[in-house]
Amino acid sequence: MQILILEAVLLLFLIGTTIAIILCRDLLASIVMFSVFSFCAVLSYFMMGAPDVAFTEAVISTISTIFMVAALKKVSRWCKK
Amino acid sequence: MRKPFGGVVLDSAFRVIVPFTIIYGIYVLTHGEFSPGGGFQAGALLAVGVVLARLVQGENAKFNIKGTHAVMLAGLGAFLYAFTGILPMFFGGNFLEYSYLPVHLHETAEIHAFGILMIEIGVTLTVMMTIIDIMDVLVKKGDSDE
Repeated sequence: MQILILEAVLLLFLIGTTIAIILCRDLLASIVMFSVFSFCAVLSYFMMGAPDVAFTEAVISTISTIFMVAALKKVSRWCKK
Repeated sequence: MRKPFGGVVLDSAFRVIVPFTIIYGIYVLTHGEFSPGGGFQAGALLAVGVVLARLVQGENAKFNIKGTHAVMLAGLGAFLYAFTGILPMFFGGNFLEYSYLPVHLHETAEIHAFGILMIEIGVTLTVMMTIIDIMDVLVKKGDSDE
């Protein structure tokens, strides 16, 4: 029962961070929220019993966050007024 | 990044962290048959060290691989995969059928482990060099940059 509650909380976190990513006007804040989303996805993969997928997600989310920040510096449009 | 943004703290932390990530990446590569992990994760972990060096120490980092060299090494990894796959076809097997590899080992399981290790090394090399090349393209000096 506790496992079920924990999974439900993680799924709610996933939905909440997704809505936050869509609604953020600041692109840097959106990237940071995407990192939070990836961490919640890693935890939920662990809960569902797939440590291999969780490991891949953890490594790739780190690198993709670096990539997106580097691309954002190149675009130089940090925030849409 | 082209200009380094690391101070003393970031530089020291980078020097401590990178050997551990490299050792962990090699562990994930060689131990991938028995535990979570494999070529893809090992390649990403090995690339993290080089990307971190590029971020902390800037364009003139000592621990760095140039973009053109990275593309060539990625091609070498793909060649290793294809070579290990096609080699059994010359000895009467199918594509990627490890039992027909011309290696003098006693048991079939050892030949299987050897073939899988070669495949994993090829995947690791390709993933690592592709990530380094993407990073190199992203932080390169461009037209619209400053």
